[in-house]
Amino acid sequence: MSDALGKTEEIVKKAKALGADEVIAKTTLGKYRQIRFSNNQIDTTVAWNDYVTDVALAWKKRLVATQIRNFQKVDANIKKLFELAKVSMENPMFGGFAKGSFKYAKSKADEKLRDLQNPADYVFEAIEAAKKEVGSEIDSGGILFTKFEDVYLVSSEGPVGFDKRSAIELSIRVFSEREASGHGVECSSTLNNFDPAKAGERAGEIAKLAKNPKIGEEGVYDVIFNPLICGSLLAVWGSMASAFSVMVQMSIFVNKLGQKVAPENVTLKDSAPSYSLANCVFDDEGVPTRETLFIDHGVLKTYLHNTSTAKMFKTETTGNAGLVFPHPWNIEMDPGDMSREEIFKEVKKGLYLTNTWYTRFQNRAKGDFSTIPRDGIFLIENGKITQSLKDLRISDNALSLLGNIAYISKERQHVHWWGEAEPPSLAPYILIKNVHITKSK
Amino acid sequence: MDEDIINFAVDYARSKGVEYVEARAQSQVQEQFMLRNGILEAYLSAVDSGFCVRIIADGGIGFASTNKWTKMEAKEIVDLALKYAKAANRKDKIKFAEEKGIETKWGVDQKQKMEDISPEEKISKFIEVNKSLSSCGVKIAATMTSCSIDLTSKYYVNSEGSRISSFVPKIGAFIFITVSEQGKMEQAYEQFGYSGGWEALREWKMSEKMIHNAKILRDVITKGKAVKPGTMDLVCGPEVTGIAAHESCGHPMEADRILGREMSQAGRSFIYKGGPYWIGTRIGSDLVTIVDDPTIEHSYGYYAYDDEGVKARRRYLYKNGLINEFLHNRESAAKLGTRSNASSRSVNYDREAIVRMANTFVLPGSMTEEELIKDIEYGIYMKSFTEWNIDDKRFNQRYVGRESYLIENGELKHPVARPIIETTTPKFWSAVDAVSKNVEFDAATCGKGDPAQGVPVYTGGPSIRLRGVYIK
Repeated sequence: MSDALGKTEEIVKKAKALGADEVIAKTTLGKYRQIRFSNNQIDTTVAWNDYVTDVALAWKKRLVATQIRNFQKVDANIKKLFELAKVSMENPMFGGFAKGSFKYAKSKADEKLRDLQNPADYVFEAIEAAKKEVGSEIDSGGILFTKFEDVYLVSSEGPVGFDKRSAIELSIRVFSEREASGHGVECSSTLNNFDPAKAGERAGEIAKLAKNPKIGEEGVYDVIFNPLICGSLLAVWGSMASAFSVMVQMSIFVNKLGQKVAPENVTLKDSAPSYSLANCVFDDEGVPTRETLFIDHGVLKTYLHNTSTAKMFKTETTGNAGLVFPHPWNIEMDPGDMSREEIFKEVKKGLYLTNTWYTRFQNRAKGDFSTIPRDGIFLIENGKITQSLKDLRISDNALSLLGNIAYISKERQHVHWWGEAEPPSLAPYILIKNVHITKSK
Repeated sequence: MDEDIINFAVDYARSKGVEYVEARAQSQVQEQFMLRNGILEAYLSAVDSGFCVRIIADGGIGFASTNKWTKMEAKEIVDLALKYAKAANRKDKIKFAEEKGIETKWGVDQKQKMEDISPEEKISKFIEVNKSLSSCGVKIAATMTSCSIDLTSKYYVNSEGSRISSFVPKIGAFIFITVSEQGKMEQAYEQFGYSGGWEALREWKMSEKMIHNAKILRDVITKGKAVKPGTMDLVCGPEVTGIAAHESCGHPMEADRILGREMSQAGRSFIYKGGPYWIGTRIGSDLVTIVDDPTIEHSYGYYAYDDEGVKARRRYLYKNGLINEFLHNRESAAKLGTRSNASSRSVNYDREAIVRMANTFVLPGSMTEEELIKDIEYGIYMKSFTEWNIDDKRFNQRYVGRESYLIENGELKHPVARPIIETTTPKFWSAVDAVSKNVEFDAATCGKGDPAQGVPVYTGGPSIRLRGVYIK
C-alpha cells in the first residue's frame, strides 16, 4: 500500500473510531502548470503543487466536509469535523454514500505530463501555426495548461481506489485585425494525442475569415455552431441535467423525465472517458464512472446522480458524485451523418458562430437567456460565408435551442474553454433553426 | 504561517541574483454551508494555507506555489519560478513600476467575532430567512442559500524591503428563490457581502429583502405588462447603475486588458492606444463620475494594501464624463509609463495577483430619486436587474429589469415584465442627464483570470436618469 493511500485510510479509520457513521477521504497529489501568453510572448509561467485530502463525513444524517492540507494536524482536523457534525443539522434527504467494492478501469494517464519539459515550445508551435494561416502580423494570446494528479480514495462503505489523471490543453485566440479574431483549442489527456499546431490553425483560419467585420442585423436565423461554441451549449444542457440543478429549479429539465426535449437526432451522454480532460475512473464516492445516456434520441432519460439524489428520484447513482453534489464530467453529443460542408449547403441565409461568452439566464427553470458570440461571426448566404459580422447577441431559450437542432456533423472535437465550455465535451458542428439574434441600439 | 520560511524564500531567491522576488503567504480559515429549501445540505470547514513566490529574471516572470511548509519546498518553488522566468525568453523585458518598500500591519475589526458564533447559530439565521419566505404569502417553489466565511491572514515580503501582514475577515451569502404563481415561474437572487464580523447580518436585512423580491416576482407574474418597444427615458436604480459601472467602466479600464494580457479569456477593451477612446476622451455626460475605491471600510472589496504591497486609494476612472485613470498593477503601470494605483489582487496563495476592481460606483448628484422620475413623461424605472451581460471589449451591454415600473407623467404605474436595455457604453453614459443623491451598494463576485479568480467587490451608485434610450 502506498504511503498516501495508507494515510487516506487512516483518516477514515480515525473518523469511524470517533463515531462517524460514514466517511470518505480522497487525497489528491496534484501538479499543475500553466503558461499564459499575450501579444505573441509569454507573460508568465505558473506552477502550483497541491497536496490535499477531501473528507466527507456523515453522522445521523448530518453531512460535513473538510479539506486537510496540514498533515501534521490530521487528528485535530478530524476531531473538529466530527464535533461540527454533532452541532450541525440533519438533512433528511441524505441517502448515504455508495456501498460495495468496485473494480475500476485502469487509468490511461500520461506520465510524461507529470514533469513536462519545455512546455513553452508548444505555445510557440501554436503561434507559428496561426501565423501560417493569417500572416506574421497577428496578435495572439492564450494559455497552455498541464495537470497530473495521483488520486487515492477510501470510503468506510467499501470503495477503495487509486487513479492517475492527466491533461494538457492549449487555448489560443488570434487577432488578424483589432476587431477580427478566431479562437482555437486543443485538449487531450495525453501528449500523444495533443497537437498544439491544430489549435493555432483553427484560430488562424477563423481570424483570417473574420477580417473587415460589419455590424450584423437583428433577426431570426438558422445558425451553425462550430464545436467550440457547441461545447458551451452542451455545458448548459449538461449542467442542467444534474439532479441538484433540477431540485433547486435551476434546470429546464424539471418534471420532463421521459419527455421529448429534443429532436430524434439528438443523443447526449455523460462520461469521464480516457481521452477527456476530465478523465477519471471513479467519482467522489468511489463509484466507477460510466457512460450515462441522458437524452436518447430526443427523450430525457435520466438526471445525473450521486447516491443521495438517486435515492430521492428512486433510481441508481450514475457515478457523477462530487464532494457534495452530482455534476457532469464530459458531455458527448452523438455524431450525425452529415459533413460540415453538407450542413453549410443547407443554409440559404444564416449565421456561422465560432465562440461565445457571458451566458446569463433570466430564468433557469424556463431557460430564457442571452449570450454574446465572439471571435468569428459570419453571414452565410446560399451555403457560403459572404460577410464577417460583429456586435451580435443570441437572445433565446435553452430549451428552444435544444428543440430546434436540425443537423449534426459527423466530425467532432474535444473542446474545453475558460468559463464557458466547462465541463469539457465532445462536440460536433450543429445547425439550429430559428435562433433569435439581437444587437445594441 | 511560518514567516521564517517566507523570509527564507525571498533571501534564497535574492542569492540567485534575480531582478525581483516577492513571496506571499496566505492562510484562510474557511466555513461554508448550503441550504436547499431551508434544509442544510452540507457544512464545510477547512483551513487552507500555503505560499507562493513570484520572480522576475531575464525580463520574464515565473510564479510557483505550494502548501507544504518546509524550507526545502521553498527552495524548490524558488528554483521552479526562476527556471520558468528565464524560459520566457521575452523580446521586451517585463519591469515593475517603481515603489518604495513598506513595513506595516493592517486588518479589519470584527465587532462580533465570527469565531464566537456557533455553527448552529450561523445556520439558524439562514433557516429564519427561509421560514419568513415560506410565510410571506407568496408561493415559493424553491430556495437555495449559501453562506461563506473566510478569515484570511496574509504575509507579504518583497526584495525591495516590503514586509506587510494583514488579517481580513469576510462573510458572503447568496440566496436564490423561485416563485411560482398561476403556473408560471420567476427567479431572483441576492448576494450579500461584508468585510468584518458576524454583525454583518444585522445590516443585511436578508428576510426583508428576500420577501420584497418574492413579492416583486409575484407581481411581475400577475400584474407585469410588456413594454411597447421604443425610445423613451429610463431611470436606473442603484443596483442597475452599479452593474453598469462595473461592467462598462471598471472592466474596460483595467490596464492589463487594455494591454492585451487577458485577450484570450476576459477579452480586451474598447479603449486602446491609437483607437477612438483613450485618456481624456469623452465617454459620458459631464454628470458621470465613476470611481473604484478599495478603502471603504467594511466594504466587500476592502483592502488597505494590494497584493503587491501598494497602498490603496480611490481611483477616478471616468471623471465628469471623460476617461481619466486606468486600474493598474506594477507591471501594467510600467508599460504605460505611470505608477501602480494598487489594483493588484489575488484570491489565494496559488494564484498570481492581477489587475482587479474593488468597489466601483457612480458618485452621487444632488437630486432625489422622486425628482428624477417627476420629470419624465413616458419611461421605465428599472430598479433591479436579472439577466445581464456585456461583450468582451466592454462595449455592447444588456440589462433586463427584475423590478421595473412604467413611468407616465412623472408617476410610477404598473410593473413592467422584463424590460430590456441593449446598448453601447458611450450611448449609455452619454444619455445620463440627472443623478440622485442616494448611493447604495451591492455585493458581487467579479470573475476574471485563468484559472478563475472570483474576487469580492461592491457595485453601486445613485439612481441615474437616461434620456431617449431604446427599451424593448
